[in-house]
Amino acid sequence: MELDQALQTFIVESRELLEAMEESLLGLESSPDDHDAINAIFRAAHTIKGSGGLFGLDGIVAFTHVVENVLDRVRSGEVPINGDLIALLLSCRDYIGMLVDQIAADSAAQPDKETEATGIMLLNQLRTYQAGEKKQSPISATAQSQPRMAVVPPPDGTVESDHWHISLRFGHDVLRNGMDPLAFIRYLDNMGKIIHVVTLPDAMPLAPDMDPESCYLGFEIDFHGDGVDKTTIEGVFEFVRDDCTLRILPPHSRIEEYTRLINELPEDKIHLGELLVNSGSLTRKELDEALHLQQILRAEYSQEAAPKLGDILVEQRVVQPELVDAALGKQKLAKENKAQESKLIRIQADKLDQLINLVGEMVIAGAATSLLAQRTCDPALHEATSTLSRLVEEIRDSALQLRMVQIGETFNRFNRVVRDVSKDLGKDIGLSICGAETELDKSVVEKIGDPLMHLVRNSMDHGIEKAEVRRQRGKPAKGTVHLNAYHESGSIVVEVGDDGGGLNREKIFAKALEKGLITASQNLSDVEVYGLIFEAWFSTAEQVTNLSGRGVGMDVVRRNIEALRGTVEIDSREGIGTTVKIRLPLTLAIIDGFLMGVGSASYVVPLDMVMECIELDEAERRESRESNYINLRGTVLPFIRLRDHFRERSKVSRRENIVVVQYAGQKAGLVVDELMGEFQTVIKPLGKLFGNLKGISGSTILGSGEVALILDVPALIQRAASRDAQLLACSQAEQIVA
Amino acid sequence: MGAIVRAEQHAEAVGNEEGQSQHLTFLLGGEMFAIPILNIKEIIEYGHLTTVPMMPAFIRGVINLRGSVVPVVDLAVRFGRKASDITRRTCIVIIEIESGDEKQDVGVVVDTVNEVLEIPRAEIEQAPSFGARIRADFIRGMGKINGKFVIILAVNHVLSIDEMAMLGQAGSAEPEALAPV
Repeated sequence: MELDQALQTFIVESRELLEAMEESLLGLESSPDDHDAINAIFRAAHTIKGSGGLFGLDGIVAFTHVVENVLDRVRSGEVPINGDLIALLLSCRDYIGMLVDQIAADSAAQPDKETEATGIMLLNQLRTYQAGEKKQSPISATAQSQPRMAVVPPPDGTVESDHWHISLRFGHDVLRNGMDPLAFIRYLDNMGKIIHVVTLPDAMPLAPDMDPESCYLGFEIDFHGDGVDKTTIEGVFEFVRDDCTLRILPPHSRIEEYTRLINELPEDKIHLGELLVNSGSLTRKELDEALHLQQILRAEYSQEAAPKLGDILVEQRVVQPELVDAALGKQKLAKENKAQESKLIRIQADKLDQLINLVGEMVIAGAATSLLAQRTCDPALHEATSTLSRLVEEIRDSALQLRMVQIGETFNRFNRVVRDVSKDLGKDIGLSICGAETELDKSVVEKIGDPLMHLVRNSMDHGIEKAEVRRQRGKPAKGTVHLNAYHESGSIVVEVGDDGGGLNREKIFAKALEKGLITASQNLSDVEVYGLIFEAWFSTAEQVTNLSGRGVGMDVVRRNIEALRGTVEIDSREGIGTTVKIRLPLTLAIIDGFLMGVGSASYVVPLDMVMECIELDEAERRESRESNYINLRGTVLPFIRLRDHFRERSKVSRRENIVVVQYAGQKAGLVVDELMGEFQTVIKPLGKLFGNLKGISGSTILGSGEVALILDVPALIQRAASRDAQLLACSQAEQIVA
Repeated sequence: MGAIVRAEQHAEAVGNEEGQSQHLTFLLGGEMFAIPILNIKEIIEYGHLTTVPMMPAFIRGVINLRGSVVPVVDLAVRFGRKASDITRRTCIVIIEIESGDEKQDVGVVVDTVNEVLEIPRAEIEQAPSFGARIRADFIRGMGKINGKFVIILAVNHVLSIDEMAMLGQAGSAEPEALAPV
């Protein structure tokens, strides 16, 4: 594994862990006794620290270590969890996130002054929770050592030294697996004091046989640490567990243990014994005793028929029985985790994109094949190509499904935002989430975060009133921001709502008049008036806060959403609340389209928008020359004559059809010459050159190899409406002049 | 869609930007122009063009170039002249344009492509400030071929995506203002 790649994995994993940590922390706010959540937070911090240590990211390790200590105390119930602590831990989480981001940007980067200052501030705050530890330590130490005393063997036969003895033999592949043996020892030093280290080069082969990429070293370490237990020490080596042989002897172990150790280790026994004496683990006398015991033990072992390792260890009192249980539990958990992991595969996004592209090409090639098959009159070939197209369609759907993610993850991030912003604003605001399981394309999800963030902040700052105003209006003091997502005719709708004061129509109208965006005579619907707040530099806020009010954000929101081929509209009722509806296409790659012809050109509309198709008969055609609407079973259906709209100059065809499309609850007709039926449409962007073109959202390639344009129905309707208004205004002006 | 000529874009032999001297010459409305071949990806037959409505007249439409959709510009209209008539010898020259950080392919309609010529640097004169009947910033230099001047086009200006998109916006905002043909 390349180290860089491993570092990337670390960054990705850390971010995920931090996210999980945040979620659990926020969960703790409502249910502080949730032990699972506390454990999850602790585990996240622990893993980040551990993996950080592997990469020598000392900044992260040092900071996370302190956090972990505090968390450990929370876990053991020594420090009660409360709002302040959660807030502090959230800031700590952010700080770790910041450090991770810095490493992501530049793995060798040192934190700058500002970051460092934040870190120190947080550490100081954390210290207050640790300071308690010192005061309490005499009590807790006895309390903790009590159970340990119970298993520590009686003084007879134990060694005098009070160190842990760790003997460590690294496997040959440790370096190749991207682990640095030294990093572990250095990390161990963080938890206590390494009293003595002896490096054992015994396994080192002769120079010609040596592989410089293999690790041949072993270490004998004497370690002194207050309050560490065996699990903690084992935890240090968790990441190389598979790659090393680890033996840990607790303080005051029996001499037999040392004997066993000496026996089990591959190195020369006398040499080892000397080592142990030198390092202070054993006294000379103890060593002699141990070597004497060796004979008896050897006889014993030969009789023993491979007993279970756990039993031996307990019997020998190397490990405490509860530790064995804990380890077993851990193993089980690890297995479960593995089972879950195997259900998910992490794939690089560009690989997926490539697959989608290829599927797109296949769809086009498939369409070309079907076209050719239709020209020949070979039924067998027809059959074959139709099977093929069905399969292609299924492959397309499954491939696109791969890119679909639930919007819930994006929504959940707002728990934190709402919490923080409501604290900043001094308002009591809650968040309710609906439709978190609604799926949409990953590329859309990525880009929708910023606009949503802006809208949520806006709702909280401008929408929801202060508590006293709310009480006066007879609403609950606690405001609510609502996030909702659902599917509607081929698009996904994301709503950001609040139960605040709503928009003031008069105020917006007046402001727009003042800015010259509209004229006083214009008769605008509510939705149109509310839509004005998306204009650049439009703000009715009397004061600019650090959150919003400058009149830039909503303009950016609209642009971002339009860049995703989406639309945004506002529904608001004064005194009751405001809801912003964002409508986005489900996918940006391949859609089911409906193909139609105007003159020699072909156009595609998303099939989900098509309601029905009707033929325009001769009478209606004559009638519709004058006005642009027809009577559709008793309702008025306005339509757009694409031929006129696009100024198609070819001969008017003999027959015309109306395609009835629906978007955002609005129906409209598109008059076309020819209906060409369903078509799997691979969306090809038209590029920057056509970026300003309204009414056409992209292009696609037909089976014949020709390019067809994809219509942007909402923009078309809007354009037609504004053109009508313009024409009307012009003719009125002319009448006045005349 | 037969590729008549495929000019290898990464022709190392041509050397760097400064020393480059190979140019493709072509005819447009009877006048000869040249483009440095480093910018040229390929030359294809004219055909299968899809008109994009509501765009200015110099954007003829889009074509399918092996799966990607490429806009096609009528150079004559871009220079403010009459649109080229389509003949048997009309070609689309695919040119790679750098726009910001991205690269974009643009097709250019020309009447006939002539040949690839070596124009030594010494034979390239500065553009005249006026008199060439096209915008001065479109001209990279005047190359001398057999004693006659050929306009070497500054493709990044002639086919500036930003400028053309802006003109497109003006065009689609006031559709009536478009010159009827």
